[in-house]
Amino acid sequence: MTEPKENKVTIKIPRALYNNLKSIIQDTGFNSVTDFIVYVLRDLASRGGATGEGGSLTREEIQLIRRRLKNLGYL
Amino acid sequence: MAKKVFVIGLDCATPQLVFGDWKNKLPNLHKLIEGGIYGELESTIPPITLPAWASMVTGKNPGRLGFYGFRNRKNFSYDDMFFANSYSVKEDTVWDILSRQGKKVIVMGVPPSYPPKPLNGIMIGCFLTPDTDSDYTYPSSLKDEIREKVGDYIIDVHDFRTEDKDYLLHQIYKMTEIRFKTVHYLVTAKEWDFFMFVEMGPDRVHHGLWKYMDREHIKYEPNSPYEHAIFDYYKYLDEEIGGLLALLDEDTVVLVVSDHGAKKMDGGICFNDWLIREGYLTLKTGVDEPTRFKNEMVDWGKSLAWGSGGYYGRLFLNVKGREPQGQIPPEHYEGVRDELIRKLEALTDHRGRPLGTKVFKPDDIYTEVRGIPPDLIVYFADLDWRSVGTVGNPGVWTFENDTGPDDANHAQQGIFILYDPRQKLGRRVSGLHVMDVMPTVLNLMGVDVPPNVEGKIVV
Repeated sequence: MTEPKENKVTIKIPRALYNNLKSIIQDTGFNSVTDFIVYVLRDLASRGGATGEGGSLTREEIQLIRRRLKNLGYL
Repeated sequence: MAKKVFVIGLDCATPQLVFGDWKNKLPNLHKLIEGGIYGELESTIPPITLPAWASMVTGKNPGRLGFYGFRNRKNFSYDDMFFANSYSVKEDTVWDILSRQGKKVIVMGVPPSYPPKPLNGIMIGCFLTPDTDSDYTYPSSLKDEIREKVGDYIIDVHDFRTEDKDYLLHQIYKMTEIRFKTVHYLVTAKEWDFFMFVEMGPDRVHHGLWKYMDREHIKYEPNSPYEHAIFDYYKYLDEEIGGLLALLDEDTVVLVVSDHGAKKMDGGICFNDWLIREGYLTLKTGVDEPTRFKNEMVDWGKSLAWGSGGYYGRLFLNVKGREPQGQIPPEHYEGVRDELIRKLEALTDHRGRPLGTKVFKPDDIYTEVRGIPPDLIVYFADLDWRSVGTVGNPGVWTFENDTGPDDANHAQQGIFILYDPRQKLGRRVSGLHVMDVMPTVLNLMGVDVPPNVEGKIVV
């Protein structure tokens, strides 16, 4: 599906690396090199914090989740 | 031969109903129980959705996972919290391991799974997905496929704390129906070796309608039109489960599990008001009506502890050198904790009867403590009473809920059923823990269990 443009940015990587990654993900569950890179980077980012927070929920997502948890009586 | 495994997760499904009086009235679950092995499944401490499901799929306790509930302390300030989400799970899940082994996996609605992570198959985000406009599936194209082939997916009920029970039931049934339709679609249209989904409906129906069913409930309403609402919902669930079982072949082992159980809620302990009464917490100015507890209200220079509300209590200590205005010298930390445990365990109900409150030190119950847990975890009346976080209540005991109508609390024991069509097992087992599910699944599928997994193989 097409993502709204503002939710994604383009990052350029060397073509040789791209081709190498393409061969690495063959016969795996990754549908594309992009999915693989996002997976690896998310994993890396999530290991970054000492608190366990990790990850990259947006401010808007956090507000929506907060509202949901409040409606569910958890907050 | 390695088998396929199909896991039906029923959030909050509770043994006294499923294995009790209703066992013979739920024919599909009954078939699994009679032919398989079953028993109570001990939840995590605390028995709360996120850590419990995460422990189940990683085989590791909340201390090792480093999150203890929906909201967790980010640091030692008084109010900096983070929401646990799929990124918070840094340990391998059962589907991470199976993906690496080349097994095809489908994971639907298993908390915490938003944002969905890539895996060898499909993932649909859990009830913490902000809304269906979010990128809640992997691959992202699946979102449109579900809308086209199944219909409008429902993440969760919108307004669960409502007095409009018809509206609540309507929402719950609608959600469960579309979820099971989605499972039907994925089971038949996609390739998979491991399939796991979690339905939130049982949790919502328990919290919303328990008082109409349970004659022992303090708010029981006799002859209510909702008296059989929970039973009717379980009947409906059982029919839906029957529909799924008909799709599975003889090589597929079926598990039915819940993250925790449910029990009636007798009332609430106003935790912070109790701490004020006992001299552990001082507010800058008095509060004479129930008010949300906020960091700014507290005279931290005169406070030793504060508490949080929820189905269980979380107690935090104000420690010198740790919190910004810490008061408890580190060398007195254990002494204050032990003193509070004694007092909490001695707490009575509003009529002076012992409550039987249980208090846990995280460092005693977890093999490792990551992140920042509460200093004490409190089960008021062994979870018969909830923890109320507001201050300014008329007393320590309340029968109103500061977060809206809620009839049920979480119970420590959930359910476990394992059914192998090729083997007549037929027995009840004890001593099961949510952490046992992950290694059991790996073993069934012929995959080695990593050595650092705490759970044990059931079969």
